[in-house]
Amino acid sequence: MSEQLRFDGRVAIVTGAGNGLGRSHALLLASRGAKVVVNDLGGSHTGSGRSSEAADRVVAEIKAAGGKAVANYDSVEDGAKIVQTALDTWKRVDIVINNAGILRDTSFRKMTPEDWELIYRVHVNGAFRVTHAAWPYMQEAGYGRILFTASAAGIYGNFGQANYSMAKLGLVGFANTLAIEGAKKNIRVNTIAPIAGSRMTETVLPKELVDALKPEYVSPLVAWLVHESCEETGGLFEVGGGFMAKLRWERTKGRTWRLGAPITPEKVRADFAQITDFANATHPSDINAALEPVMENVNAPPSKGGNEFIDVDAALGWQMPEITSTHDERDMALYALGVGAAKDPLDARELPLVYELHGDGFKALPTYAVNPVIAGVLKLSAEGRNAPGLNYGLDRILHGEQYTEVFRPFPAKATLKHKGRIKDIFDKGKHALVISAIDTFDAETGERIAYNEITTFVRGAGGWGGDRGPNTDVPVPDRAPDVVVTEKTSDNQALLYRLSGDWNPLHADPEFAQAFGFPRPILHGLCTFGFVGRQAIRAFAPNADPRYFKCIRVRFADSVFPGETLQTEMWKESDTRVLIRTKVLEREKVVINNAFVEFYKEIPRGETKRAPAPAPARAATTAPSAPAGPSSAAIFQVIGAYVAKHPELVKSIHNVYHFKLKNPASEWTLDLKNGAGSVTAGAPAKADCVLELEDSDWVAIATGKADANKLYFGKKLKISGNVMASQKLDFLRKIDPAEAAALVGTAGATPPGTGTPASSTPAEPAREPQAPAIFRALQERLAANPKLAAEVNAVVLFKVTAPDGVWTVDLKEAPGVKSGAVGTPTTTFTISDEDLLTLVKDPQSARWLYQHGQLRVDGDISVAHRLGFLKQLV
Amino acid sequence: MGRKVNVIGVGMVKFAKPGASEEYDVMAHKAIVSAIQDAGITYDEVEQAFAGYVYGDSTCGQKAVYSVGLTGIPVVNVNNNCSTGSTALFLARQAIEAGAECVLAVGFEKMEKGALGNKFSDRVNPLEKHVEVMNRVQGFNQAPPAAQMFGGAGREYRWKYGTRRETFAKISEKARKHASKNPYALFTQPLSVEEILASDEVFDPLTRFQCCPPTCGAAAAILCSDEFARRHNISRPVYIAAQAMTTDSPSSFEDSMIKMVGYDMAKRCAQVVYEKSGVGPEDVDVIELHDCFTTNELLTYEALQLCKEGEAEKFIWDGDNTYGGRFVTNPSGGLLSKGHPLGATGLAQCTELVWQLRGQAEQRQVEDATIALQHNLGLGGACVVTMYRRD
Repeated sequence: MSEQLRFDGRVAIVTGAGNGLGRSHALLLASRGAKVVVNDLGGSHTGSGRSSEAADRVVAEIKAAGGKAVANYDSVEDGAKIVQTALDTWKRVDIVINNAGILRDTSFRKMTPEDWELIYRVHVNGAFRVTHAAWPYMQEAGYGRILFTASAAGIYGNFGQANYSMAKLGLVGFANTLAIEGAKKNIRVNTIAPIAGSRMTETVLPKELVDALKPEYVSPLVAWLVHESCEETGGLFEVGGGFMAKLRWERTKGRTWRLGAPITPEKVRADFAQITDFANATHPSDINAALEPVMENVNAPPSKGGNEFIDVDAALGWQMPEITSTHDERDMALYALGVGAAKDPLDARELPLVYELHGDGFKALPTYAVNPVIAGVLKLSAEGRNAPGLNYGLDRILHGEQYTEVFRPFPAKATLKHKGRIKDIFDKGKHALVISAIDTFDAETGERIAYNEITTFVRGAGGWGGDRGPNTDVPVPDRAPDVVVTEKTSDNQALLYRLSGDWNPLHADPEFAQAFGFPRPILHGLCTFGFVGRQAIRAFAPNADPRYFKCIRVRFADSVFPGETLQTEMWKESDTRVLIRTKVLEREKVVINNAFVEFYKEIPRGETKRAPAPAPARAATTAPSAPAGPSSAAIFQVIGAYVAKHPELVKSIHNVYHFKLKNPASEWTLDLKNGAGSVTAGAPAKADCVLELEDSDWVAIATGKADANKLYFGKKLKISGNVMASQKLDFLRKIDPAEAAALVGTAGATPPGTGTPASSTPAEPAREPQAPAIFRALQERLAANPKLAAEVNAVVLFKVTAPDGVWTVDLKEAPGVKSGAVGTPTTTFTISDEDLLTLVKDPQSARWLYQHGQLRVDGDISVAHRLGFLKQLV
Repeated sequence: MGRKVNVIGVGMVKFAKPGASEEYDVMAHKAIVSAIQDAGITYDEVEQAFAGYVYGDSTCGQKAVYSVGLTGIPVVNVNNNCSTGSTALFLARQAIEAGAECVLAVGFEKMEKGALGNKFSDRVNPLEKHVEVMNRVQGFNQAPPAAQMFGGAGREYRWKYGTRRETFAKISEKARKHASKNPYALFTQPLSVEEILASDEVFDPLTRFQCCPPTCGAAAAILCSDEFARRHNISRPVYIAAQAMTTDSPSSFEDSMIKMVGYDMAKRCAQVVYEKSGVGPEDVDVIELHDCFTTNELLTYEALQLCKEGEAEKFIWDGDNTYGGRFVTNPSGGLLSKGHPLGATGLAQCTELVWQLRGQAEQRQVEDATIALQHNLGLGGACVVTMYRRD
């Protein structure tokens, strides 16, 4: 057993100590050395009468056992007198146990104002008077232990105890604030909700239970809570009958509405289940934590708006569940037939699209890339796995525009994974556009194969005053088209096309079509899309080879009925770009406009699938397959093309750079000194500046994912020769993505220094932000050790970047951490999330971070010398 | 100390931004002619010429001087980075002390737009040792190198003394205010501290309006012996009471940005001048100092002992650097507002101070100025401090 908890030298006041719980507390503390003021008015449990008898009896009991005690007969409403008794007798007060109480139980209807006020006076006002009188002595002594007595009736409610419940829960709030105010002076304040058999519970509990619930089962917790070695404060405990437990607040994750859009009672009703759902609940322990979601929302960007059909905030950025699809040559051939290929079976240009044994090899029609995506999206929709916040029926939507791009010849046979998200939502006034962006990867190698953008036109769903979005018009030139192709669709074209995966009955079921206002089933828009893509390939791709195809964009202007004749007009805008418009001849209606197809200059190679390892001795050291992304060679290719177009760089830079890459090893020369400048593989005869780094780091720098300075200081980038010359490489950042793509003619190549365009690469797994955890830990540290603040004596605003967040750390008046910017800071630190972690690990790093520009300090910089309070927070 | 050296004529052209100036020889011609006229002599009396410039092929000095006359005198081209102009002045003074009677010092510069950079990247960088210090202390950034160096010194100072950002901006506010009275200055529009702080950040704590602009211009001075002055009936000429030049010592290459940008070099230089002249900083009335960046002006207050180390912030907010305070620093607007044509700066400072001591500075005249101090500093490095008096 550990040593006995003693109270020698401590002076305790126990109110209502003549009977029951109070008596039990007094006896226990006195038996362990405390000097006890035994207060009891000597009245009945309903508050009538008074006598000295009860208190005297307990004092005598204590003294008989060898303890020290003094009686006091004042009402708790005269709290100062009770405290005075302690001061007069022992010149100090260390412990106050607010226990005195009475009952006036009656149903609410019968409750008189006197019933209500008397209960308030004894419990709340009484506890106030006693505690308030003791408080200054405790503050000056820098020590105090205070206990309040609440009740389950207050926490949960109990019939006939409206007055009592009010008073008891009032004490809990009272104690919570005292715990905060007393923290700095080592005054600990706790509350118990006891259940014990006493005079007071005789009225509400059966006799047998009253006898079993001895006060002696409660007092041990009380004794521990008021002991000097107990640091607990602000706690609320249920105790009795051998059971002890702590209570805390639990809060649902709740529902947050971005500010800026109206919040209506109907919205509350609609989301009430979410408001009340305790899954993922939190347990805020102080007012700052309580306010956190509010502050976060207040500091969050405003709502992007919406209406009953579309909640932009909820929908935007939603990640679709991953879709998997499989296809082979049979599917590709069926698709090609569905979009009118090889209508002339002797046409050598189109036969490879449908005949797998063709001498030139089977060639997949790349517009197919949209099919598994659409099929998958429809399937998700049918399963109800839709983006949140999109509350419109299928009857409102039309496929407005389609953009499909492939990054390599589309594989004739593959298993694909599709990862999509809601990319944009635009308010076109009356109507709305919802744009889904889907990246397609080879399931086996991870290589990025294709990218689709589906623009859904939502009738009547606009008008919330939101972003109108860019103009995607692609007007055709004011001249005769260079090529016109006329093809009649088959009467059963839609029935054939739907076998490629779009099962919408609108394209097959006459009655269904009529219900939608069409005289008969219509052709799939994507079928027309496939026709157009195929026609462009046939007319403009070298040897009609679909592997040159890069991308297509169309706007669907009107429906086509199977059997109608499509006339596609094409204008060659450049060697790699064709503008397109398609009409239905019979009705003279434009059905496709604002359309173009682009081609690659050379067939992109794509990544070769890894051959099975030929069981070499060193197989284990082979690097894992590179993730989808540009290779360093592709990057140098882009730079080379850029340099060729910008000969002026030679004049302004005038250096020869030698890149030595490792893993895999390669060497490159960027000559911006001789002639018109050049990029070549291999080492130069003489370099001004040599840069040595890992191949992967070079790719990361060039794609904006890593910072050259950081790599340099992390010793991952070694620069020799003219170090200053490396600075001039800044021009790499100026290479425009579009320009880079045009220069190289491969979408797979990413311009260096600009980062990959958002739409073209799957998001990197994000680094877990550290700041929220750091500031939570800081809050706990400050609560546990408020003295830390005194050493700093400042209010510090932390503006954290990447990802952004703002926290106010008060190390002055009321030590604590608040989310958001609160009040006027003494000092503002601006620092990245990553560097914040460095700072916390070693506050001495502040100077280094500051001098390197990674810690920005506004206001009183001297605070940066006193950051010890951050040390080892995580 | 040798013979007394007088400054009997000064002149300069209005400074202009790159692309809007005349050719360097034209600007230099105008500055020389102004100085000669100011001295009241003729060019054929000039026995030697020292011509300073940084950017240009060899013998630009001759091209500039020939425009005034082909008298066949020695012409020395001087290149000493941002302290080029005062280095020409230093050599001219030495020539008089060595026996010459009348010597011309001229400085000119035709600069390109944008921040300073290396012109000869095919060879070892002369600032390599300085760059190494910066590299160790704060790394490389994409900002202009000079701004990184002087800005980094400002960071170091802030860290040490807790200086507010506004304090640096306040220097620029003062510079603009002074320049608004100077018809030769490039920027004559006053700016508020808020506007200065709100301009683009170049390198924390420096914002754009706390960096001197690339500038084109020229300035010249005629120096002579007492005997020459007497012969030309020049009474009470301004004279050089003391002058010194220092270059880097080992402390420049300790791990301190403040020392790397020439703090110790300037401090030693000023100390020599105070000792030689027997005049302390407290006796100085007006100062032109090298405010290439606000941070350097602040550091220079301490290097020149205008205030104690660590007290520059108070010095600034007390207004001790402007009219009504203990000193008037950069009445011309300084490099920050008048502009900084590298070769011309040292002689433009000289021109301003001679005008001040003669009571010819018009609206920006410092009352009863009799002692003036000039501080001109170049990274690489060299510092020239000159004390002028008029009895």
